[in-house]
Amino acid sequence: MNFQFKNKVISGILTVLPDNEVLFEDEMSNYNFSEQKSLKLKAAMGFNKKRVVKNGETSSDLCTYGLEYLVDSSLLEVSEIDALIFVSQTPDYIMPPTSNIIHGKLGLKRDVLCLDINQGCAGYIIGLIQAFMLLDQKSINKVVLLNADVLSPKVSKRDRNSNPLIGDGASVTIIEKTELENNIHCSVKMDGLGAFALNIPAGGAKLPNSNETALLEEDYAGNFRSKDHLVMKGDEVFNFVQTEVPELIEEVIKVSGYNKDEIDYFMFHQPNKFMLNKLADKLEVPREKMPSNVVENFGNASGVSIPTVITFNISDKLLSQSNLLCLSGFGVGLTWAAIIMKFENLKFSKIIYK
Amino acid sequence: MENLIAQLEEILETTNLDLTKKFKDYEEWDSLSSLTIISLLDSNYSIKMTNAEILAFNHLAEFCEFVKNNAK
Repeated sequence: MNFQFKNKVISGILTVLPDNEVLFEDEMSNYNFSEQKSLKLKAAMGFNKKRVVKNGETSSDLCTYGLEYLVDSSLLEVSEIDALIFVSQTPDYIMPPTSNIIHGKLGLKRDVLCLDINQGCAGYIIGLIQAFMLLDQKSINKVVLLNADVLSPKVSKRDRNSNPLIGDGASVTIIEKTELENNIHCSVKMDGLGAFALNIPAGGAKLPNSNETALLEEDYAGNFRSKDHLVMKGDEVFNFVQTEVPELIEEVIKVSGYNKDEIDYFMFHQPNKFMLNKLADKLEVPREKMPSNVVENFGNASGVSIPTVITFNISDKLLSQSNLLCLSGFGVGLTWAAIIMKFENLKFSKIIYK
Repeated sequence: MENLIAQLEEILETTNLDLTKKFKDYEEWDSLSSLTIISLLDSNYSIKMTNAEILAFNHLAEFCEFVKNNAK
Protein backbone atom coordinates (compact mmCIF):
# COMPACT_ATOMS: atom_id res chain seq x y z
CA MET A 1 0.00 0.00 0.00
CA ASN A 2 1.44 3.35 -1.00
CA PHE A 3 1.13 6.62 0.93
CA GLN A 4 2.15 10.12 -0.19
CA PHE A 5 2.62 13.14 2.02
CA LYS A 6 3.99 16.63 1.64
CA ASN A 7 4.86 19.73 3.68
CA LYS A 8 6.26 17.68 6.53
CA VAL A 9 9.83 17.27 7.80
CA ILE A 10 11.78 15.41 10.41
CA SER A 11 13.42 18.17 12.44
CA GLY A 12 15.42 16.13 14.93
CA ILE A 13 16.42 12.60 15.95
CA LEU A 14 17.81 11.56 19.32
CA THR A 15 18.86 7.98 20.08
CA VAL A 16 19.05 6.90 23.73
CA LEU A 17 21.14 3.80 24.42
CA PRO A 18 21.95 2.08 27.71
CA ASP A 19 25.36 2.79 29.26
CA ASN A 20 25.86 -0.92 29.89
CA GLU A 21 27.90 -2.69 27.21
CA VAL A 22 28.19 -6.49 26.80
CA LEU A 23 30.76 -8.22 24.58
CA PHE A 24 29.96 -11.28 22.46
CA GLU A 25 32.84 -13.10 24.16
CA ASP A 26 31.37 -12.39 27.63
CA GLU A 27 28.40 -14.62 26.84
CA MET A 28 29.99 -17.18 24.55
CA SER A 29 30.27 -19.85 27.25
CA ASN A 30 26.46 -19.80 27.67
CA TYR A 31 26.03 -21.30 24.22
CA ASN A 32 25.98 -24.98 23.44
CA PHE A 33 28.62 -24.61 20.70
CA SER A 34 32.38 -24.77 20.53
CA GLU A 35 34.26 -21.48 20.88
CA GLN A 36 35.55 -21.89 17.33
CA LYS A 37 32.03 -22.22 15.92
CA SER A 38 30.77 -19.24 17.89
CA LEU A 39 33.66 -17.08 16.68
CA LYS A 40 32.85 -18.08 13.11
CA LEU A 41 29.28 -16.92 13.69
CA LYS A 42 30.55 -13.68 15.20
CA ALA A 43 32.64 -12.95 12.12
CA ALA A 44 29.90 -13.82 9.62
CA MET A 45 27.13 -11.87 11.34
CA GLY A 46 29.20 -8.95 12.59
CA PHE A 47 28.52 -9.53 16.28
CA ASN A 48 30.74 -7.76 18.77
CA LYS A 49 29.29 -5.38 21.36
CA LYS A 50 25.72 -4.72 22.38
CA ARG A 51 24.00 -2.30 24.72
CA VAL A 52 21.45 -3.69 27.15
CA VAL A 53 19.71 -2.29 30.22
CA LYS A 54 21.14 -3.33 33.56
CA ASN A 55 18.94 -2.15 36.37
CA GLY A 56 15.47 -3.12 35.24
CA GLU A 57 15.03 0.01 33.16
CA THR A 58 12.01 -0.02 30.89
CA SER A 59 10.96 1.56 27.62
CA SER A 60 9.40 4.58 29.35
CA ASP A 61 12.58 5.20 31.38
CA LEU A 62 14.69 5.50 28.22
CA CYS A 63 12.07 7.63 26.44
CA THR A 64 11.60 9.97 29.39
CA TYR A 65 15.37 10.39 29.72
CA GLY A 66 15.59 11.37 26.04
CA LEU A 67 12.66 13.78 26.21
CA GLU A 68 14.03 15.46 29.37
CA TYR A 69 17.42 15.82 27.67
CA LEU A 70 15.78 17.62 24.73
CA VAL A 71 13.74 19.89 27.02
CA ASP A 72 16.79 20.71 29.17
CA SER A 73 18.83 21.44 26.04
CA SER A 74 16.10 23.79 24.74
CA LEU A 75 15.61 21.59 21.66
CA LEU A 76 11.97 20.83 22.49
CA GLU A 77 9.18 22.71 24.25
CA VAL A 78 6.75 20.46 26.10
CA SER A 79 3.84 22.81 25.32
CA GLU A 80 4.39 22.41 21.56
CA ILE A 81 3.76 18.65 21.52
CA ASP A 82 0.39 17.96 19.87
CA ALA A 83 0.75 14.19 19.60
CA LEU A 84 2.91 11.56 21.29
CA ILE A 85 3.28 8.26 19.46
CA PHE A 86 4.97 5.38 21.28
CA VAL A 87 5.96 2.39 19.14
CA SER A 88 7.22 -0.67 21.02
CA GLN A 89 6.90 -4.37 21.69
CA THR A 90 7.89 -3.85 25.31
CA PRO A 91 5.36 -1.50 26.92
CA ASP A 92 5.70 -0.87 30.68
CA TYR A 93 2.28 -2.40 31.41
CA ILE A 94 -0.56 -4.15 29.58
CA MET A 95 -2.62 -1.19 30.75
CA PRO A 96 -2.38 1.84 30.79
CA PRO A 97 -0.73 2.89 27.52
CA THR A 98 2.96 3.78 27.98
CA SER A 99 2.46 7.01 26.00
CA ASN A 100 0.01 8.15 28.70
CA ILE A 101 2.53 7.34 31.43
CA ILE A 102 5.16 9.42 29.62
CA HIS A 103 2.59 12.19 29.12
CA GLY A 104 2.11 12.36 32.89
CA LYS A 105 5.83 12.24 33.69
CA LEU A 106 6.63 15.07 31.28
CA GLY A 107 3.60 17.19 32.17
CA LEU A 108 2.30 17.48 28.63
CA LYS A 109 -0.80 19.56 27.91
CA ARG A 110 -4.20 17.83 27.96
CA ASP A 111 -5.04 18.93 24.45
CA VAL A 112 -2.96 16.15 22.91
CA LEU A 113 -3.20 12.71 21.34
CA CYS A 114 -1.24 9.86 22.97
CA LEU A 115 -1.04 6.68 20.98
CA ASP A 116 0.68 3.30 21.61
CA ILE A 117 1.48 1.14 18.58
CA ASN A 118 2.69 -2.47 18.81
CA GLN A 119 5.30 -2.84 16.05
CA GLY A 120 8.91 -4.01 15.95
CA CYS A 121 11.50 -4.04 13.19
CA ALA A 122 9.32 -1.86 10.91
CA GLY A 123 8.16 0.27 13.83
CA TYR A 124 10.10 3.38 12.81
CA ILE A 125 8.45 3.47 9.39
CA ILE A 126 4.98 2.70 10.77
CA GLY A 127 5.45 5.42 13.42
CA LEU A 128 6.58 8.01 10.86
CA ILE A 129 3.61 7.25 8.59
CA GLN A 130 1.27 7.67 11.57
CA ALA A 131 2.97 10.98 12.41
CA PHE A 132 2.58 12.23 8.82
CA MET A 133 -1.13 11.30 8.86
CA LEU A 134 -1.68 13.19 12.11
CA LEU A 135 0.10 16.26 10.72
CA ASP A 136 -2.53 16.43 7.98
CA GLN A 137 -4.83 17.69 10.76
CA LYS A 138 -5.15 21.42 11.31
CA SER A 139 -4.81 21.06 15.08
CA ILE A 140 -1.53 19.13 14.93
CA ASN A 141 1.72 20.97 14.15
CA LYS A 142 4.32 18.94 15.97
CA VAL A 143 4.44 15.20 16.64
CA VAL A 144 6.89 13.38 18.88
CA LEU A 145 7.56 9.81 17.77
CA LEU A 146 9.03 7.56 20.44
CA ASN A 147 10.46 4.17 19.51
CA ALA A 148 11.61 1.93 22.32
CA ASP A 149 12.45 -1.73 22.63
CA VAL A 150 13.88 -3.36 25.72
CA LEU A 151 13.87 -6.96 24.56
CA SER A 152 17.04 -8.21 26.29
CA PRO A 153 15.09 -9.50 29.34
CA LYS A 154 12.93 -11.50 26.91
CA VAL A 155 15.83 -13.34 25.25
CA SER A 156 17.32 -16.55 26.60
CA LYS A 157 21.01 -16.11 27.45
CA ARG A 158 21.51 -19.63 26.08
CA ASP A 159 19.99 -18.84 22.66
CA ARG A 160 22.83 -18.30 20.19
CA ASN A 161 20.25 -17.47 17.51
CA SER A 162 18.99 -14.29 19.17
CA ASN A 163 20.96 -13.37 22.27
CA PRO A 164 24.13 -12.10 20.51
CA LEU A 165 22.22 -9.62 18.42
CA ILE A 166 19.48 -8.22 20.64
CA GLY A 167 20.17 -4.79 22.10
CA ASP A 168 17.97 -2.29 23.94
CA GLY A 169 17.32 1.34 23.13
CA ALA A 170 14.92 4.18 22.47
CA SER A 171 14.67 7.13 20.13
CA VAL A 172 12.86 10.44 19.97
CA THR A 173 12.00 11.85 16.55
CA ILE A 174 10.35 15.23 16.01
CA ILE A 175 8.14 15.57 12.95
CA GLU A 176 6.53 18.86 12.01
CA LYS A 177 4.83 20.88 9.32
CA THR A 178 6.96 22.88 6.87
CA GLU A 179 6.51 25.42 4.10
CA LEU A 180 8.74 23.25 1.89
CA GLU A 181 6.82 20.97 -0.44
CA ASN A 182 9.03 17.97 0.48
CA ASN A 183 7.25 15.08 -1.19
CA ILE A 184 7.33 11.91 0.90
CA HIS A 185 6.77 8.47 -0.61
CA CYS A 186 5.91 5.48 1.58
CA SER A 187 5.05 1.87 0.99
CA VAL A 188 3.84 -0.69 3.55
CA LYS A 189 3.09 -4.38 3.23
CA MET A 190 1.92 -6.95 5.78
CA ASP A 191 1.50 -10.71 5.87
CA GLY A 192 -0.10 -12.16 8.98
CA LEU A 193 0.43 -15.71 7.71
CA GLY A 194 4.00 -15.19 8.87
CA ALA A 195 2.97 -13.70 12.23
CA PHE A 196 4.88 -16.30 14.24
CA ALA A 197 8.19 -16.12 12.36
CA LEU A 198 9.26 -13.85 15.23
CA ASN A 199 7.33 -14.17 18.47
CA ILE A 200 7.24 -14.50 22.24
CA PRO A 201 4.88 -17.45 22.84
CA ALA A 202 3.91 -16.77 26.47
CA GLY A 203 2.90 -13.69 28.42
CA GLY A 204 -0.23 -12.63 26.58
CA ALA A 205 -3.84 -13.77 26.99
CA LYS A 206 -3.42 -16.90 24.85
CA LEU A 207 -0.67 -18.33 27.04
CA PRO A 208 -0.12 -16.53 30.35
CA ASN A 209 3.30 -16.85 32.01
CA SER A 210 3.52 -19.82 34.38
CA ASN A 211 6.11 -22.15 35.87
CA GLU A 212 5.57 -24.34 32.84
CA THR A 213 6.19 -21.59 30.27
CA ALA A 214 9.43 -20.73 32.09
CA LEU A 215 10.97 -24.19 31.52
CA LEU A 216 14.01 -24.17 29.23
CA GLU A 217 13.84 -26.53 26.26
CA GLU A 218 16.49 -27.37 23.65
CA ASP A 219 15.65 -26.74 20.00
CA TYR A 220 16.92 -28.71 16.97
CA ALA A 221 19.97 -26.47 16.67
CA GLY A 222 21.10 -26.77 20.30
CA ASN A 223 19.69 -23.49 21.63
CA PHE A 224 17.90 -23.40 24.97
CA ARG A 225 14.88 -21.19 25.48
CA SER A 226 11.50 -21.21 27.23
CA LYS A 227 8.08 -20.10 26.03
CA ASP A 228 8.64 -16.83 27.91
CA HIS A 229 11.50 -16.08 25.53
CA LEU A 230 11.67 -14.48 22.11
CA VAL A 231 12.02 -17.00 19.30
CA MET A 232 13.05 -16.24 15.75
CA LYS A 233 12.86 -18.57 12.75
CA GLY A 234 16.05 -17.27 11.21
CA ASP A 235 15.79 -19.16 7.93
CA GLU A 236 12.22 -18.03 7.24
CA VAL A 237 13.04 -14.43 8.13
CA PHE A 238 16.10 -14.49 5.87
CA ASN A 239 14.11 -15.82 2.90
CA PHE A 240 11.32 -13.33 3.52
CA VAL A 241 13.71 -10.36 3.64
CA GLN A 242 15.70 -11.35 0.56
CA THR A 243 12.53 -11.90 -1.47
CA GLU A 244 10.25 -9.10 -0.37
CA VAL A 245 12.47 -6.17 0.58
CA PRO A 246 14.26 -5.64 -2.77
CA GLU A 247 10.88 -5.70 -4.54
CA LEU A 248 9.43 -3.16 -2.10
CA ILE A 249 12.42 -0.83 -2.46
CA GLU A 250 12.32 -0.98 -6.27
CA GLU A 251 8.61 -0.17 -6.12
CA VAL A 252 8.91 2.82 -3.79
CA ILE A 253 11.83 4.19 -5.82
CA LYS A 254 9.74 3.91 -8.98
CA VAL A 255 6.77 5.67 -7.38
CA SER A 256 9.03 8.44 -6.03
CA GLY A 257 10.32 9.31 -9.50
CA TYR A 258 13.94 9.42 -8.28
CA ASN A 259 16.76 7.36 -9.76
CA LYS A 260 18.34 4.86 -7.43
CA ASP A 261 21.71 6.61 -7.58
CA GLU A 262 20.18 9.93 -6.49
CA ILE A 263 19.51 8.42 -3.08
CA ASP A 264 22.30 9.40 -0.70
CA TYR A 265 21.80 6.63 1.87
CA PHE A 266 19.77 3.51 2.41
CA MET A 267 19.15 3.50 6.14
CA PHE A 268 17.70 0.08 6.84
CA HIS A 269 16.71 -1.94 9.86
CA GLN A 270 19.80 -3.70 11.26
CA PRO A 271 19.27 -7.45 11.70
CA ASN A 272 22.95 -8.31 11.06
CA LYS A 273 25.77 -7.48 8.66
CA PHE A 274 25.34 -10.67 6.63
CA MET A 275 21.72 -9.94 5.74
CA LEU A 276 22.34 -6.24 4.98
CA ASN A 277 25.27 -6.96 2.67
CA LYS A 278 23.15 -9.46 0.76
CA LEU A 279 20.40 -6.85 0.47
CA ALA A 280 22.79 -4.17 -0.77
CA ASP A 281 24.18 -6.55 -3.40
CA LYS A 282 20.72 -7.60 -4.54
CA LEU A 283 19.62 -3.99 -4.88
CA GLU A 284 22.93 -3.15 -6.61
CA VAL A 285 23.54 -0.42 -4.07
CA PRO A 286 27.16 0.26 -2.93
CA ARG A 287 27.60 -1.21 0.54
CA GLU A 288 28.90 2.14 1.86
CA LYS A 289 25.50 3.67 1.07
CA MET A 290 23.83 1.07 3.28
CA PRO A 291 25.64 1.13 6.63
CA SER A 292 25.50 -2.17 8.53
CA ASN A 293 27.51 -1.29 11.64
CA VAL A 294 24.76 -1.04 14.28
CA VAL A 295 24.68 -4.68 15.39
CA GLU A 296 28.45 -4.82 15.95
CA ASN A 297 28.48 -1.63 18.00
CA PHE A 298 25.16 -1.59 19.86
CA GLY A 299 23.06 -4.67 19.00
CA ASN A 300 19.72 -4.64 17.22
CA ALA A 301 17.06 -2.78 19.21
CA SER A 302 14.28 -3.59 16.77
CA GLY A 303 12.31 -0.41 15.92
CA VAL A 304 15.17 1.76 17.22
CA SER A 305 17.69 0.39 14.71
CA ILE A 306 16.89 2.90 11.94
CA PRO A 307 17.27 6.03 14.13
CA THR A 308 20.46 4.41 15.51
CA VAL A 309 22.00 3.77 12.08
CA ILE A 310 21.14 7.36 11.08
CA THR A 311 22.42 9.13 14.20
CA PHE A 312 25.57 6.95 14.40
CA ASN A 313 26.65 7.36 10.78
CA ILE A 314 25.46 10.62 9.23
CA SER A 315 24.62 13.10 11.99
CA ASP A 316 27.11 15.71 10.70
CA LYS A 317 25.71 15.54 7.18
CA LEU A 318 22.12 15.81 8.43
CA LEU A 319 22.89 18.95 10.43
CA SER A 320 24.62 20.76 7.57
CA GLN A 321 22.88 19.80 4.34
CA SER A 322 19.85 18.24 2.64
CA ASN A 323 20.01 14.46 2.14
CA LEU A 324 17.74 12.14 0.20
CA LEU A 325 17.23 8.99 2.27
CA CYS A 326 15.52 5.68 1.71
CA LEU A 327 14.47 4.12 5.04
CA SER A 328 13.24 0.56 5.35
CA GLY A 329 12.15 -1.67 8.22
CA PHE A 330 11.20 -5.36 7.96
CA GLY A 331 10.40 -8.15 10.34
CA VAL A 332 7.87 -9.04 13.02
CA GLY A 333 4.30 -9.12 11.76
CA LEU A 334 5.38 -9.87 9.10
CA THR A 335 5.67 -6.20 8.22
CA TRP A 336 7.89 -4.59 5.61
CA ALA A 337 7.83 -0.90 4.82
CA ALA A 338 9.91 1.86 3.25
CA ILE A 339 10.03 5.65 2.94
CA ILE A 340 11.88 7.89 0.51
CA MET A 341 12.15 11.48 1.69
CA LYS A 342 14.48 14.44 1.97
CA PHE A 343 15.97 15.21 5.35
CA GLU A 344 16.43 19.00 5.49
CA ASN A 345 19.05 20.40 7.91
CA LEU A 346 18.01 18.78 11.17
CA LYS A 347 18.11 20.79 14.41
CA PHE A 348 19.67 17.84 16.21
CA SER A 349 20.85 14.33 15.40
CA LYS A 350 22.79 12.48 18.07
CA ILE A 351 23.17 9.52 20.40
CA ILE A 352 23.13 9.89 24.19
CA TYR A 353 23.74 7.18 26.78
CA LYS A 354 21.79 6.52 29.96
CA MET B 1 27.25 -29.00 -10.28
CA GLU B 2 30.98 -29.26 -9.62
CA ASN B 3 30.70 -25.69 -8.46
CA LEU B 4 27.94 -26.58 -5.96
CA ILE B 5 30.03 -29.39 -4.53
CA ALA B 6 33.00 -27.08 -4.11
CA GLN B 7 30.77 -24.55 -2.37
CA LEU B 8 29.36 -27.19 -0.02
CA GLU B 9 32.90 -28.40 0.74
CA GLU B 10 33.89 -24.88 1.70
CA ILE B 11 30.83 -24.38 3.93
CA LEU B 12 31.17 -27.79 5.61
CA GLU B 13 34.97 -27.43 5.82
CA THR B 14 35.81 -30.69 4.12
CA THR B 15 38.00 -31.50 1.11
CA ASN B 16 36.21 -34.63 0.08
CA LEU B 17 32.42 -34.32 0.21
CA ASP B 18 30.70 -37.66 0.76
CA LEU B 19 27.44 -37.52 -1.19
CA THR B 20 26.00 -40.50 0.66
CA LYS B 21 26.06 -38.52 3.94
CA LYS B 22 23.46 -36.13 5.34
CA PHE B 23 24.18 -32.51 6.27
CA LYS B 24 23.79 -33.36 9.95
CA ASP B 25 26.57 -35.98 9.68
CA TYR B 26 29.07 -33.16 9.23
CA GLU B 27 30.78 -31.72 12.28
CA GLU B 28 30.56 -28.20 10.82
CA TRP B 29 26.79 -28.37 10.35
CA ASP B 30 25.01 -25.74 12.49
CA SER B 31 22.54 -22.88 12.10
CA LEU B 32 25.24 -20.73 10.51
CA SER B 33 26.21 -23.27 7.83
CA SER B 34 22.50 -23.83 7.20
CA LEU B 35 21.93 -20.10 6.69
CA THR B 36 24.99 -19.90 4.45
CA ILE B 37 23.53 -22.65 2.26
CA ILE B 38 20.08 -20.98 2.23
CA SER B 39 21.77 -17.74 1.15
CA LEU B 40 23.84 -19.53 -1.52
CA LEU B 41 20.73 -21.19 -2.95
CA ASP B 42 18.98 -17.81 -3.06
CA SER B 43 21.85 -15.85 -4.66
CA ASN B 44 23.27 -18.43 -7.08
CA TYR B 45 20.35 -20.69 -7.94
CA SER B 46 17.21 -18.61 -7.17
CA ILE B 47 15.91 -21.38 -4.93
CA LYS B 48 14.15 -20.62 -1.63
CA MET B 49 14.57 -23.31 0.96
CA THR B 50 14.03 -23.53 4.72
CA ASN B 51 16.27 -25.25 7.23
CA ALA B 52 13.71 -28.07 7.68
CA GLU B 53 13.59 -28.67 3.91
CA ILE B 54 17.38 -28.89 3.71
CA LEU B 55 17.46 -31.39 6.57
CA ALA B 56 14.74 -33.51 4.96
CA PHE B 57 17.02 -34.76 2.15
CA ASN B 58 18.12 -38.36 2.71
CA HIS B 59 21.64 -37.63 1.52
CA LEU B 60 23.67 -34.90 -0.17
CA ALA B 61 23.34 -36.52 -3.61
CA GLU B 62 19.58 -36.05 -3.39
CA PHE B 63 20.08 -32.42 -2.38
CA CYS B 64 22.45 -31.76 -5.31
CA GLU B 65 20.03 -33.41 -7.71
CA PHE B 66 17.23 -31.17 -6.43
CA VAL B 67 19.33 -28.03 -6.89
CA LYS B 68 20.30 -29.10 -10.42
CA ASN B 69 16.68 -29.64 -11.40
CA ASN B 70 15.29 -26.50 -9.79
CA ALA B 71 17.96 -23.86 -10.43
CA LYS B 72 16.63 -20.84 -12.32
